[in-house]
Amino acid sequence: MNPVTLEIQEIGGSLACEIKTLSGASPMSCYQCTKCSSGCPVAGRGDLKPHELVRLVHMNQRHAVLTSRFIWECTSCHTCVTRCPQKVDIAAMNDTLRALSLSEGLAAADIAAPVFNEVFLRSVRKRGRVHELGLMAAFKLRTRRFLEDLDKAPMMLKKGKLPLRGARVGGRSEREKLFRRAAHGGEP
Amino acid sequence: MSYTFYPGCSLDGTAKDFHRSTLAVAAKLGLELPEIEDWICCGSTAAHSSDPLLADALPAQNLRAAGGRTVAVACASCYSRLKMANHHIAGDPSVRAEVARVVGEDYDGLTPVRHLLEILGQDMQREVAAAIRRPLAGLRVACYYGCLLSRPPEVTQFDDAENPTLMDKLLETAGATPVDWPHKTECCGASFSISDSSIVLELSERILSMAQAAQVDCIVTACPLCQLNLDMRQEDVEVKYGRRYDLPVFYFTQLLGLAMGCSASELSLGSLVVEPKVLLESKGLSMAGARA
Repeated sequence: MNPVTLEIQEIGGSLACEIKTLSGASPMSCYQCTKCSSGCPVAGRGDLKPHELVRLVHMNQRHAVLTSRFIWECTSCHTCVTRCPQKVDIAAMNDTLRALSLSEGLAAADIAAPVFNEVFLRSVRKRGRVHELGLMAAFKLRTRRFLEDLDKAPMMLKKGKLPLRGARVGGRSEREKLFRRAAHGGEP
Repeated sequence: MSYTFYPGCSLDGTAKDFHRSTLAVAAKLGLELPEIEDWICCGSTAAHSSDPLLADALPAQNLRAAGGRTVAVACASCYSRLKMANHHIAGDPSVRAEVARVVGEDYDGLTPVRHLLEILGQDMQREVAAAIRRPLAGLRVACYYGCLLSRPPEVTQFDDAENPTLMDKLLETAGATPVDWPHKTECCGASFSISDSSIVLELSERILSMAQAAQVDCIVTACPLCQLNLDMRQEDVEVKYGRRYDLPVFYFTQLLGLAMGCSASELSLGSLVVEPKVLLESKGLSMAGARA
């Protein structure tokens, strides 16, 4: 096996500290036993395995971490933290890293999860609930993936799994305020 | 018995069959499930991937509205988010204060949250056993729990994190034969069903292939995302990986309902993508009156 060569930018804990403050996860507790990577369902797909991501955090490799595909392919299944002998919460860490990667413009353009999250939350903000048919349509419009899953919508309509009209819950202006306050850390 | 019900968005759409079969089983058991008034979405994956405060605030608003009564949840994703919010809010006064500022009212994080599997398998075990009319004799089932019910265990405190058996015991009570298999809590790819289905196909292939190797007649689920991925995408998996499964994927409430004598229509068996007709008839269980 070829050794991995890292260009060390800086050794130290600034990224680890940031992660700890924002997510409560303690990446520095990791001793690289690789149990997380053994159980991770997407470890074989991505550019990184979970224990490698944590090691990059140890080495403060901010750019490599925030541009990795792994943080976006994590399914939040929590197998890693459930089995970790040191209880390093990689799932929570990835939530934080996704937000940092987005705010710093470092997520690859073809990663669709942020668009999905955005249209999903817009539906919740407006209606109070998610209308799945509307969500799928909005997602397809935004990502221009018109040909994907063309057979699914008619089949699901036939099976009664996609009501045309979604429910709406009252209190929209209150909900708007709730979303705004959440975005501003509790301030109005 | 009565619990305050939080159905969640999927149960009004892609998991309408889960909703109908839940209510059908509840009716057989005398279990009342009045909904939380004006419940809103829990935020699901989208909220916790984007904004941790919103991810706690949306569940908090719902749990507060339950007025301290125990909340019953069917969807595993909702269950996980409600439990996670309780864990954060009850465990950290600063989170509690922040969430109170966002929601506009204080919530203590102490409203109990129970999944239907816990309610039927622990709180109402005796009632379930007494309601079985048509045992599912000879039906070999793989109980599939997915990720979100049992993980992380400190948060959900659901059964055993690596080898849950609540669903297995319920299906056994219903006369079926649950098999021991290793993929009970593997991940199906969850909400990547829409944003990157290649992940779902890869992960679901492992689950379907393992269930097939365990020589089961069908898979039983307790989560709208698990059911949708294994059922609706089963054909896509077959095409991509050159396999043939033909494994019906039920909600556990559908099979319990069948054993309790509910009709196929009450259980929405016609909504399943992989048709269960041949299988059920081979076990002497009628599909008459099935509708979507």
